Amino acid sequence: MASSEAAQRPTTTQGRDAGRGRAKLPTGPRGPHTSRARKVAANVVLAVVCLLMLSPVLWTAFSVIKPTNVAFLNPPAFTFTPTLDAFVNLWQTTNFYQYLGNTLVVAVVSTVVALVIGLPAAYALSRSPGWVSVALLVAALVFRALPRTAVVLPMYEISRSLGIYDTTLALALALVAINQPFSIWLLRNFFAAVPKEIDEAAMIDGCTRFSMLRLVIIPLMGPGIITAALFMFLFAFQEYLTAVILTDVSSATVPVFIATQLGQTLPLLQQAGAASLLLTLPVFVFAFVAQKYLIAGLNSGSVKG
Amino acid sequence: MRRREYLYLVAPSVLVMFGLLVIPLVRTIQWSFERVRYGSPGTFVGLDNYRDALTDPRFGSAVAFTVVVTIAVVSVLVVGGYVLAVLVNGLGKMRPIVLGLLLVSYVVPGLIGGTMFSWLFNDNFGGIVNQVIRLVGLPEVLWFTDTWANRGLVAAAVVWSMIPFAMLVILAGLQGVPKEMLEAARMDGAGSLRTHWSVIAPSIRGVLGFVTLISIMDVLRLFDQLIPLSPQAVQIGNESLVLYIYNRAFLDGGQQLGLGSAMNVLLILLIVVMLLPFIRDTAREGRS
Repeated sequence: MASSEAAQRPTTTQGRDAGRGRAKLPTGPRGPHTSRARKVAANVVLAVVCLLMLSPVLWTAFSVIKPTNVAFLNPPAFTFTPTLDAFVNLWQTTNFYQYLGNTLVVAVVSTVVALVIGLPAAYALSRSPGWVSVALLVAALVFRALPRTAVVLPMYEISRSLGIYDTTLALALALVAINQPFSIWLLRNFFAAVPKEIDEAAMIDGCTRFSMLRLVIIPLMGPGIITAALFMFLFAFQEYLTAVILTDVSSATVPVFIATQLGQTLPLLQQAGAASLLLTLPVFVFAFVAQKYLIAGLNSGSVKG
Repeated sequence: MRRREYLYLVAPSVLVMFGLLVIPLVRTIQWSFERVRYGSPGTFVGLDNYRDALTDPRFGSAVAFTVVVTIAVVSVLVVGGYVLAVLVNGLGKMRPIVLGLLLVSYVVPGLIGGTMFSWLFNDNFGGIVNQVIRLVGLPEVLWFTDTWANRGLVAAAVVWSMIPFAMLVILAGLQGVPKEMLEAARMDGAGSLRTHWSVIAPSIRGVLGFVTLISIMDVLRLFDQLIPLSPQAVQIGNESLVLYIYNRAFLDGGQQLGLGSAMNVLLILLIVVMLLPFIRDTAREGRS
């Protein structure tokens, strides 16, 4: 279908554009000179865009390494002795490590649970069409797009009545619920890329459906599972709204901590800057190391739709 | 696949969706018809909450804010994402490095990204942007207290955090454009602007539509960025729909939980209507 379309399209555009193209001929063909100049210009634009995109991080880093007494001068100080005091203060005077720990625990636990639950469901949906599968897929799509408040405000009440309010358990459970539909969506597309014949061959060789899934299909799904895991982790790590509603003091996450620092006095702001940077550094590493999987995940199913 | 196997495979997922999403959702719908607050049982009030929500002037300005920001963000995202994707597509060896740098704003948590973004504009942090504005001799801009300046600031921050997503999806779309098509356009003498406008962009309109849909849905849920970027959102009329729900239903002791729940239901209906074409495609694909 797609290939026949591709074969047809050029001829139709050719036909449609032929007349207009000829009228433009005087300005049409360009020499190699202009194309090289254009390439340089494109790269300059791209370099400027990269710099602009990183400017919030760079400016924060620049402000955080200033000594506290010049950090908030206006106009800003451009000459100073760089110092890491803000990081030391952050570590010594706040419970940052505890919030960081909470964030990591919640992100890892919710990722693992969402995957363990989502994998078999995604496999079933990819292999067995039918109205139940369609209903589940549509439900997953709608749940993914829901405003968080619609489920998290009741979760607040439920977690209070169960006595698990302000625990990492409650937050992790909430994030499993919120992110799991997306994992099904993502994993189903990867499962669909594994040919059904592999299932059949393995089952003829004596595997049960479940041992086949565990021994044959899941090992084939490596990159897909990594992609889904990275997105689940990323979403949990980024979450603010759910965390601010379901936690108070003991299981707050880093975004919640930073939000409370924002309304405070200036030295605390610098600590918030330091905390932001500490969280952005792993993000840098992530953007480079996991790039392939991030791109695969963003494009899975999306481009087709 | 046998029915029993199917059941075992989907059961955990269905149980989690039912227990942790459907039950809370039912509660939200129930609350939307009640005068209720946390910790005490509610009383049925029919459609009062819906009437109150729709006639609340704060709701009106939340809608205005959300619509303005959505239009600004989505148009910049589609155009900017396209231009950026074309530029990145022309790169050789530098591509992974450039992509890595561009991805940072997407990966960083929204609240933290918004915080760092706000410091470029905040005089308490030396606000480099204000310095440049002063240097050029332009009048001072009150980024955090002027309604429209603040809307611009919020829209810019949202574009900053979402443009990597738009760029990547469009980039993948560009790679699917057949080479023969570009060749044909060039032989016909189409300049590069014209090739983009009448050949490439139309052939990836599905991708552009997807980017538009996802961006609209994400801006409809805007919340995290407003905490650092619009600390006076209520006073200057720059609450987003979700921030309005949060402020009304949760922040002041959950006194307006019913009203907030009614707003939630309205927002869900809006999102489902927007998703309809997507849902139809899913249903069609799932059945085949």
